[in-house]
Amino acid sequence: MSEKNIIQITDLTKVYGDGVKIKALDNVNMTIGRGEFMAIVGPSGSGKSTLLNMIGILDTPTSGTITLDGVDITKASEKERSKMRNQKLGFIFQYHHLLPDFNAVENVMMPLLINGIKPTNARAKAHTMLKEVGLGERINHKPRQLSGGENQRVAIARALANSPEIVIGDELTGNLDSKTSEKIYELLRKLNREHNQTFILVTHDEQMAEKTERIIGLVDGKITEDKST
Amino acid sequence: MSLARALESRNQVIFSVYELFIAIRHLRSRRRQTILSILGIGLAVMILMVSQASMVGFTEELYKKTVDNMPHVTVEPKSDEDYIYLYRSLAYDIREIEGVTGASPVLSGQATFAYKDTSRNVLMQGILVKEHNTVLHTEKDITEGSFRDLEVTHKSVILGDSLSEKLDVKVGDTLDATFPEAKPTTLKVVGIYDSGTPQDETLAYVPLSTAQHFFDNSNVANSILVRVEDPDYAQPIADEIDAVGYQASSWMETNPEILQMIMIEGLSNFIILGMIIVIASFSMVSTLFMVVMEKTKEIGMLMAMGVPRRSILTIFLLEGGIMGLIGPVVGVLAGIVVSLYLGSITMDIGEEAYGGVSTFPFVVRTKDAVMIVIFTFLLNLVAGIFPARRASRLDPVEAISSE
Repeated sequence: MSEKNIIQITDLTKVYGDGVKIKALDNVNMTIGRGEFMAIVGPSGSGKSTLLNMIGILDTPTSGTITLDGVDITKASEKERSKMRNQKLGFIFQYHHLLPDFNAVENVMMPLLINGIKPTNARAKAHTMLKEVGLGERINHKPRQLSGGENQRVAIARALANSPEIVIGDELTGNLDSKTSEKIYELLRKLNREHNQTFILVTHDEQMAEKTERIIGLVDGKITEDKST
Repeated sequence: MSLARALESRNQVIFSVYELFIAIRHLRSRRRQTILSILGIGLAVMILMVSQASMVGFTEELYKKTVDNMPHVTVEPKSDEDYIYLYRSLAYDIREIEGVTGASPVLSGQATFAYKDTSRNVLMQGILVKEHNTVLHTEKDITEGSFRDLEVTHKSVILGDSLSEKLDVKVGDTLDATFPEAKPTTLKVVGIYDSGTPQDETLAYVPLSTAQHFFDNSNVANSILVRVEDPDYAQPIADEIDAVGYQASSWMETNPEILQMIMIEGLSNFIILGMIIVIASFSMVSTLFMVVMEKTKEIGMLMAMGVPRRSILTIFLLEGGIMGLIGPVVGVLAGIVVSLYLGSITMDIGEEAYGGVSTFPFVVRTKDAVMIVIFTFLLNLVAGIFPARRASRLDPVEAISSE
């Protein structure tokens, strides 16, 4: 695998179900380069979320391999997988999925604390991250006191807290109005340029997909298109 | 090396900062359920504490009423002899044993007491007044006359109150004592005692010399009654005396029913109250299961952030452990307050019920409090394993997409 590729996916297949087998992913092969800003599109049930969960080490394939930054995650231990999720990956979901009992800065601190960083240092870093996403003033508000767009910004700050190599977003603007979506997108693009992190976004939103550098289309678990824009 | 350093040197800690951070926040976010669970455990522990205090008080009172009023060790003649011949020197030697506070040689046997038209068979016990009083504190039971008169008046007798009523004798009266093969004699009543036990009807004290004369056996005793400082240690002292050839038995051997009673009481107490605590722990476990269900999405998110399954387990064990520690501490403190309050009220549970225990105090012992806290805490920690394991085994993808 060349140095500039961060993700190498080989013959990846995922089959669900005990009796009636459903192939969510069917022999997928692809490579993703370091610093790419890309979208995965497809109708619902096409397998795009499954693919994202595989890359995010939340799910395991039926067969095939995924190599992240040189490490075959299909062979990694539970401990290594947790560690990679914490340090190499950042997740942003459709519904922000912030921890409701913790305020904004505490939510952003969480991946840092899990990484073993001291609370005082974690708090300072979290504050910086929140400033970077434009939420420096509202750090002590809990998720229910913030708007959808604000919460999604907190989620982005949290995903980026440990400076992960790969940031994955699953329909991350699906729950926001178009104006807010636009702002979130601009923010992600800015962060991608500044930090050279790899962004993989699953989306329905054609407009948003068009703004990325590369679009991968999935239908019935197979790659049907792979175009650079 | 301290425990903390030992753990550090192995590069392991029991739990990390964020695990505790999350556990406490979870408990605080569901304040009402948390408090109810803690109160549930606390209430059960309080009941256990109060019951334990009354149990200890009852046991102490039972000791005071029974064990305290009986010889702790009874020494009988060597197996091939009928009497203890050198009773004075043996009693002296026994008093020299560490932990022994008194030894009283006695000569007892059956006798028939007759006064006017009434007669009764009694157990006549010849004693040395001073020595006997160091063993059984008989003097405090005297209600009429004087115990000391037994020493100064030759051929005198002290009767139990029930026996004196049956014979219809009063202090100053003289009764006849006879028995086959004994030398008939007359005895002057110099005192009446009331020990509150059935022996009041059968046991009569006479001077040792009078008994020796009556049974025609001068300079012998047939037993030596021994008192020890701590009744719990009567057995080793009995064994020590046994070792020199005399047949010595502790009160545990002569009255096994007392220990049985304490044990049965204690055991049934423990079983019933242990069950109450188990039930309280169940409510804590159900609260934790509810937390796990409510927080499923969050658990998935934590896993996505890189929290290992082990840490998820730790977080929920901490939640159970925190409730399982605060609960019993609160409960024990409440139990102590209630026990002290109840202990300040004198409760009369009837004359001679429970082996002569008519009132009893509540006795709070530190070791009981500590044991109850530790026991309940460990029980809750173990019970918490089930919901914690459920949480740690969630599938992250399913957890995140759950509603």
